[in-house]
Amino acid sequence: TALTLLIFYFFILIQAAWSLKTRALTEMVYVDEIDMDEEGIAEMVLDENAIAQVARPGTSLKLPGTSQGGGPSPAVRPVTQSGRPITGFVRPSTQSGRPSTMEQAIKTPRTALTARPITSASGRYVRLGTASMLTNPDGPFINLSRLNLAKYAQKPKLAKALFEYIFHHENDVKNVSNSCVPFSVFVKYHSALDLAALATEHAQFKDWWWKVQIGKCYYRLGLYREAEKQFKSALKQQDMVDTILYLAKVYLRLDQPVTALNVFKQGLDRFPGEVTLICGIARIYEEMNNISSAAEYYKEVLKQDNTHVEAIACIGSNHFYSDQPEIALRFYRRLLQMGVYNCQLFNNLGLCCFYAQQYDMTLSSFERALFLAENQEETADVWYNLGHVAVGIGDLNLAYQCFRLTLVNNNDYAEAYNNLAVLEMRKGHVEQARALLQTASSLAPHMYEPHFNFAILSEKVGDLQRSYTAAQKSEEAFPGHVDTQQLIKQLKQHFAML
Amino acid sequence: MVQSNQDSDISLLNINQGITCLASGVLNPQLGYDCLLVGTQTNLLAYDVYNNSDLFYREVSDGANAIVLGKLGDISSPLAIIGGNCALQGFDYEGNDLFWTVTGDNVRSLALCDFDGDGKTELLVGSEDFDIRVFKEDEILAEMSETETITALSPMYGSRFGYALANGTVGVYDKTARYWRIKSKNHAMSIHAFDLNSDGVCELITGWSNGKVDARSDRTGEVIFKDNFASSIAGVVEGDYRMDGSTQLICCSVDGEVRGYLPGGEELKGNLMDTSAEQDLIRELSQKKQNLLLELRNYEENAKAELNAQLKEADGQRGVIPANTQLQTALSVNLGSDSQSAHVELCISTTNDTIIRAVLIFAEGIFEGESHVVHPSLQNLSGCVRVPLTPPKDVPVDLHIKAFVGYRNSTQFHVFELTRQLPRFSMYALSSPDSATEPLSFVNCTTNERPQRIIMWLNQSFLLPEDAEFQSAPFQVCFTSLRNAGQLCIKIKPGGEISINTDDIDLAGDIIQSMASFLAIEDLQVEADFPAYFEELRKVLVKVDEHHAVNQRLTADMAEHSNLIRSVLVQAEDARLLGDMKHMKTRYIELYDLNRDLINQYKIRCNNHTELLNNLKAVNQAIQRAGRLRVGKPKTQVISACRDAIRSNNFNVLFRIMRVGTASS
Repeated sequence: TALTLLIFYFFILIQAAWSLKTRALTEMVYVDEIDMDEEGIAEMVLDENAIAQVARPGTSLKLPGTSQGGGPSPAVRPVTQSGRPITGFVRPSTQSGRPSTMEQAIKTPRTALTARPITSASGRYVRLGTASMLTNPDGPFINLSRLNLAKYAQKPKLAKALFEYIFHHENDVKNVSNSCVPFSVFVKYHSALDLAALATEHAQFKDWWWKVQIGKCYYRLGLYREAEKQFKSALKQQDMVDTILYLAKVYLRLDQPVTALNVFKQGLDRFPGEVTLICGIARIYEEMNNISSAAEYYKEVLKQDNTHVEAIACIGSNHFYSDQPEIALRFYRRLLQMGVYNCQLFNNLGLCCFYAQQYDMTLSSFERALFLAENQEETADVWYNLGHVAVGIGDLNLAYQCFRLTLVNNNDYAEAYNNLAVLEMRKGHVEQARALLQTASSLAPHMYEPHFNFAILSEKVGDLQRSYTAAQKSEEAFPGHVDTQQLIKQLKQHFAML
Repeated sequence: MVQSNQDSDISLLNINQGITCLASGVLNPQLGYDCLLVGTQTNLLAYDVYNNSDLFYREVSDGANAIVLGKLGDISSPLAIIGGNCALQGFDYEGNDLFWTVTGDNVRSLALCDFDGDGKTELLVGSEDFDIRVFKEDEILAEMSETETITALSPMYGSRFGYALANGTVGVYDKTARYWRIKSKNHAMSIHAFDLNSDGVCELITGWSNGKVDARSDRTGEVIFKDNFASSIAGVVEGDYRMDGSTQLICCSVDGEVRGYLPGGEELKGNLMDTSAEQDLIRELSQKKQNLLLELRNYEENAKAELNAQLKEADGQRGVIPANTQLQTALSVNLGSDSQSAHVELCISTTNDTIIRAVLIFAEGIFEGESHVVHPSLQNLSGCVRVPLTPPKDVPVDLHIKAFVGYRNSTQFHVFELTRQLPRFSMYALSSPDSATEPLSFVNCTTNERPQRIIMWLNQSFLLPEDAEFQSAPFQVCFTSLRNAGQLCIKIKPGGEISINTDDIDLAGDIIQSMASFLAIEDLQVEADFPAYFEELRKVLVKVDEHHAVNQRLTADMAEHSNLIRSVLVQAEDARLLGDMKHMKTRYIELYDLNRDLINQYKIRCNNHTELLNNLKAVNQAIQRAGRLRVGKPKTQVISACRDAIRSNNFNVLFRIMRVGTASS
């Protein structure tokens, strides 16, 4: 009996060590996946998860152009590719838009910054938060295919550690070519799901944690309705901020922002003042183009947590675009005080200083930004803004050089092409201006400026037909633009006379 | 609802599943506006169209074949009641199921109607076993047997409601009594109650499969309005579609033709048919006149015959028969022979030398097409006609018999009309008690009734060669089923204990229900055991569990596959845009293989799902059967206790409940 006892203890020791190592490996690659989420091209173009195909304005994330909250117009606040005003804080979903065709969707990632993964499963999950591409000289720590999941599911403590390991660490596979990635990724989700299903059965469906995990697996597999069921069931057993956030994410995928807002608001009843929930509400309002409500909720966030970078940045940019650069400057300085020290911040500071007429600080801020730039895209941004400043002070030569430098650093910079074209036009180089504008409009069809400029240019040289088509495109991108409307009216009169 | 796009009048909703039923109405009283309810084979979605948000999304494993929205009985909040495979479920706006019960077969139609006139609505359920059941919350108030699947039900006013059957019958019930019905060779696609002639009483509007729409008076079934569409009617609804404050009747055809009808004005006085209606009336009256003239001529002929009484042999030809001629009918059980299976035999005979030329029997649910004509050939004419009957269900049936009686060479015959009731359990033949083959299954119950009354019930419900008499306390009577030769024993022991031995749980339930209604027993608790049936049920329950597990796996597999397909498709497109044809080809080949796999998997999943559905149906039926063994309160208790047991996956408790009626011993 002494021997059996010894063996028994030995096993317990081994289990403890095993569990510890699993957890350590997981910790190494763990990333909070609530924020780390992006819809892939495939999901976006091929899936129809939304119920309403044409929802009422203000109840859907699909129609960003229909603002209800009275945000600034695109003439004041530039828009992203999706037609949404740019935000003060870059998150995975704030950058890229919803292209209408597959071709457009595939082509867009080629313009560096707006990259979208092919599917959400092969996207950031592989790049972030996984032990991706790391080969272990001794082979994998756990060989998943040999694992008897049913056995582990019986042991709650081991099962949880194992699940997290499979979910986070084994997310990706080693030594496989890129095209095979999705295959193996799904297999891993599958085993994670199997394990979770077995474990929750073992816990007689009473353990909310397992339900959340099953929901997470379903979510990654794209089974949103099943995920919703699991999260709801988990919430019934145990109120958890995490679960609420996941549930809201499901509703956002189903394109039901109002339901997601309700989920958050109900969550706030149970967890009053919870920053992540308020922040979630603000983000949804922002995505729905309801800037004033978004700003209100961001302020609410700051009341609870006055070091919340996202809230400060968003409020700052909102002030900047609503013509209050001095106030925006205060928010950006606050960020600086908190230790945020990067290119983008100095860029913003420079712009704020310029518009607040503190010229002495402007150029030094941009200089600092140039020092801190980590890659060419950031450098391009700084040069572009410098060009803007140069236009502002009337030094067109400097402006010309700045925009050229922007294009040297990033030759996809549609805004720079547009501005350059305007400068060329002033010089009277019509052909060059036209070429630049065409480049700009093909790079960024969502921007109205190149279209409008092109329309004006064509009208001047007497090419009314082209002018009309370009004006129509411009109106499509920004329906409320008065100048475009006037131009179209004028052109129609011309045509009528003919 | 505000239209999202001014250019189009239609906004599309995307459900991603086959839709089986639709309803709209106020589900959440606080919300104050309508929501849309969408039922599919596996789910129910309550959707707020205005805000593009879900109220709830529930999995309903029994499917949703029919849906109705409204208040039920004493439940305070409005419910979305769905009828699935043998199950009824009611959800409030939060998706809580406040109402659950089982019914005999797949539900095809639902309606809410104040059936008993107490100011609260009851639920009418039409199902595939041809029954209309009325539920007062959990409790069954009434059951009406029809002759086909009930495809539509529509409350009219008060306790009156319209119904439509799959065989083209449309009619109106008031409580359990049928007011009228008509049968057409077309199918009724949709029925609706609407006051078209402004007389304050709703008419039954029927849309037919041949494109006809007619409005029939609720009292007589007389057509008061009709219209024709070019194609089959898809649906009939009412609503203020033009937003001018008046409700219209709106009919839509499958081709998409929509017509709206305003109720007729006061000056029409309920007369919607134009001049043609008057012509119809004249035609009808002249036909009546014709008939009367014919009848008169017959009488005159007879009178003439009486005058020439001496011409005896000519009598028969003219159809004169002795005044004391009577038609006798007898029902008996025929155990069958090699050429003929066992059946109930209806023997119709005359009391003298007259013969029966033809017999016309009208009875619901026994014959195909409801009526049966026996027309013996000239050589085989006799004074006695035997008609085999095989009622498929154990329900009492009225046989309306019309017989042509006369002489062999008569040209005119007398018609005898009589009605005979077929007892409920006519398909059971009395047999001698034999303990060896006595069924193991039993139902035991105790009543305070006198045994004589029970014997009375026995005589009324079974076809016994002679009426049974009650002598002393242990009384036993045995039957053999003509359908499957199953045994049935009914024993009455001293102390009022009755035991029914049969392996057929349905039969036992029928007997208990029939006895309880005859003896006017309100509550009856029984002890029952059906070892063979319970064993089968246990197997089914195990299978249901397996199917659920397999289903989860298959769903995950499907999602995995479809994700793969998506990424391969994007990669292929990518290759195409880059002009990399070689890669594109490999990707598309991959895609082709994956697609084939996916289709195969889908087939597997479909099979799994149908099996699961069948098994779930069997479970629901078992609960329903266990309920039918009891009467009144114990019945509802058993049903709800069984559901709890199934929810908690506790099979042993389930069987205990089915045996003794309660969870605790």
